Amino acid sequence: MTDAQTVLSIRGAEHHYRADHAALAGANLDLYAGRITALLGPSGSGKSTLLRAIAGLERLDTGSIRLGDTIWNNEQTHLPPEARRVGMVFQDYALFPHMTALANVAFGLSGADKKARALAQLEAAELGHRAKAYPHELSGGEQQRVALARALAPQPAVVLLDEPFSGLDRRLRGELRERTVDTLRAARTTALIVTHDAEEAMAVADELALMDAGRIIQTGAPDEVWMEPVSATAAKLLGDVEIIESHISNGQAATPFGAVDAPGLEAGQRVNVLIRPRAFVLTLADHGTFTITRRRSAGPHLTCRFAGDRGEWTAQTPSPASIAVGDRVNVVLDPVYVRVVAV
Amino acid sequence: MAAAARLNRFRGWLPGRTLSLAVLAATLCAAPVLAVAWIALTGETGDYLRHLAGTRLPTYLATSAAVALIAAAGSGLIGTGLGWLMARTDFFGRRTLGWVLILPLAVPAYVAAYAWLDLSHAGGPLQAMTGGLFPTIRGSWGAGLMFALVLYPYVYLLARNAFAAQSADAYNAARTLGAGPLHAFWRTSLPMARPAIAAGLALVVMESLADYGTVSHLGAPTLSIGLIRAWSGAGSLVDAARLSLVLVLVAIFIFGLERAQRSRARNINAAGRHKPAPRLPLTGLTALAAFLACLLPLLLGMIIPLGRLGWLALRTEAASGLAAASLHSLTLAGVTALIAAALGLGTAYALRSRTTIAILAARAAGLGYAVPGAVAAVGVIALLSGTQALIDPAWRALTGEVFPILLTSTGAALVLAYLSRFAAAAISPAETALARVTPSLDGAARTLGATPRRRVWQIHWPLIAAGVTSAGLLVFVEVLKELPATMILRPFNYDTLAIIAHNFASDERLGEAALPSLLIPLVALLPMIFVARYLSRQDR
Repeated sequence: MTDAQTVLSIRGAEHHYRADHAALAGANLDLYAGRITALLGPSGSGKSTLLRAIAGLERLDTGSIRLGDTIWNNEQTHLPPEARRVGMVFQDYALFPHMTALANVAFGLSGADKKARALAQLEAAELGHRAKAYPHELSGGEQQRVALARALAPQPAVVLLDEPFSGLDRRLRGELRERTVDTLRAARTTALIVTHDAEEAMAVADELALMDAGRIIQTGAPDEVWMEPVSATAAKLLGDVEIIESHISNGQAATPFGAVDAPGLEAGQRVNVLIRPRAFVLTLADHGTFTITRRRSAGPHLTCRFAGDRGEWTAQTPSPASIAVGDRVNVVLDPVYVRVVAV
Repeated sequence: MAAAARLNRFRGWLPGRTLSLAVLAATLCAAPVLAVAWIALTGETGDYLRHLAGTRLPTYLATSAAVALIAAAGSGLIGTGLGWLMARTDFFGRRTLGWVLILPLAVPAYVAAYAWLDLSHAGGPLQAMTGGLFPTIRGSWGAGLMFALVLYPYVYLLARNAFAAQSADAYNAARTLGAGPLHAFWRTSLPMARPAIAAGLALVVMESLADYGTVSHLGAPTLSIGLIRAWSGAGSLVDAARLSLVLVLVAIFIFGLERAQRSRARNINAAGRHKPAPRLPLTGLTALAAFLACLLPLLLGMIIPLGRLGWLALRTEAASGLAAASLHSLTLAGVTALIAAALGLGTAYALRSRTTIAILAARAAGLGYAVPGAVAAVGVIALLSGTQALIDPAWRALTGEVFPILLTSTGAALVLAYLSRFAAAAISPAETALARVTPSLDGAARTLGATPRRRVWQIHWPLIAAGVTSAGLLVFVEVLKELPATMILRPFNYDTLAIIAHNFASDERLGEAALPSLLIPLVALLPMIFVARYLSRQDR
């Protein structure tokens, strides 16, 4: 990642729709040449606003957006969308309903050969045979591919995709996701994909950016972000997690399942212990400390709810397992899936 | 947040000048109604009104209620039935009938009334044929029936769209829960379409209350008759304004009901993606029955009355002045339609800015639709005479002459009254058309480098052209049909087709009334066909 060149950089982006509510509250983000960044956050976290601000469809209150040496946004400048070189795939695709697929793709092109270039773009998306179809005659997946082709055709510096798979059914989504990533890679495009689906974000991203309450709270390679969340919020964004409040003593944080090493944190510091469900190792014991309260099989693994004196937690254990509701168990933690973060 | 977000999204491409112009124009449209309210609330109570309250007012109110009720019941039955047939079944001729059924809107109710009274009066052809059994069509129920026959398309259009948009799921769920087809229809499909039907009925009731020609010809003294009498008989602006206010309040109530029902209709049908219900194919006798059921309202509302008038017109020498009257009608309708279309479009754009002032102005202009033509006319008179009184002293001091009479010297006052009345008919279709240009379409065009001009010509205009044209044509038809405001405000000796027809019909000279009466729907038919086909294409 360090070797990749920064294409677009956003600093301190702030945007208010309402005086008392900041949609963007000082967001910082870098996009790297030829890499796909996934922007993951819950709805209302400001993802779409950030995307629209990059496209120039929203004006920042403060902060800057620059492409290389070109300033797109700062206190004085607001480059209009048509003067930026961005391609955008909208959540509803926003295909022009009165134009054919070909005319849609050709819209952002100029020059005598624009038809031919548009057709080439459509053919690359394996939609050459649908060139004369109108948007309403295309399937959902085809519409998405036309929208992507339209955004890529003018060879934009950055491609922005706003929840591009949310309108599709589950099976189609996976297939189209692969295809989209392949297309973006083939075009060596710098891309930003907004999503609220953690699995999707991890699947498409070279870089993962987590967003919450108008700020980017963590960036990095997907595995790295998943393994080393910087906060409880970041951990929750990427999947189920049990959070236990504790504090540091003797370089460790105490939990109902034993103490956890917490290197680099000062004694007395209040912390959250973040435990992924698969960190819990359950062993049946006649006089175990915990009791199984619920059991649900989910194919490759088993989800168990277990209770002790100080609460109730959810564990994920390899399936099959001979655990039944009412069984007594002892629980220890696999440190690989446990992190301690300062509050 | 949403409103502000929208504002932000549209800032930048809405020229400020358009916004202020549109707001100004919309305010101008609302001014007559506001003037009526002002005069009614501040003026001295005249003797006429006091006298009226003790004598005829209860009759006016009761008749208005009866006429509106019958019109609503009739148009509700016809419109809902046809709407369901067109949305949910398939039979020979359905596609063509789908838009042809809208055409009776081109026939003014009073024209239908002239023909039907002529056909059914004592000693008329229908009584002769049935041995005196056929009832004479007159009074409250006769007027209500006429309204039902020519105004049912309002209900039909909204009901058809509602039935067509309904998911099959609710109906199917009812069937799996043990309801028979009819029971399931009654319990699910009909209630789901009810807000749309109610919105259509509200339009029918408003139009019925606004009418003057029909009720005066058939002898059903509604409030708008009382209003015209107060103005032309007693000459009291205040009394007329007071009566107007009663009508306006009723209309605002219905108007509010309609708005509320429409937004309910949207909520009911906004339930995500769903499969539309498959059409029930009709064959043999059922198909024939459906076909005839569609033909019947067309026959009664359009073909028979126009046929009768055509027959009368052929047997009577054409009255003089028809050519001039036609020209006047066409000019007034054309000019108003053009202005209204431009105004509608401008206001629709202004509305997208979501600024409070734009919303207020557009809604106030929309109020005019709920206001009977006679009220709009009274409002324009009040407005212009007020302006005149304001300017006159200064003018006299400056020039030593009386300020030229604004009121009746030109058709401008008339056009203002029409605009005040029909601006809504142009604004809301323009809004609908412009709604097709979603923010993301604009965003897409911008990110692809389109300049504002290119966006308007290549994205907006192709998407809204048909809608805006159809809005203009609808206003054209409405103005062509309009009678009471024209009666009150027309310049001296300036006759329109509607005026000539009404004058002859009130003199019982139906033969001479026939041709001008016939000319109105004939001229209106072509634009109406465009509108009908547009409206039918849109929901497919």
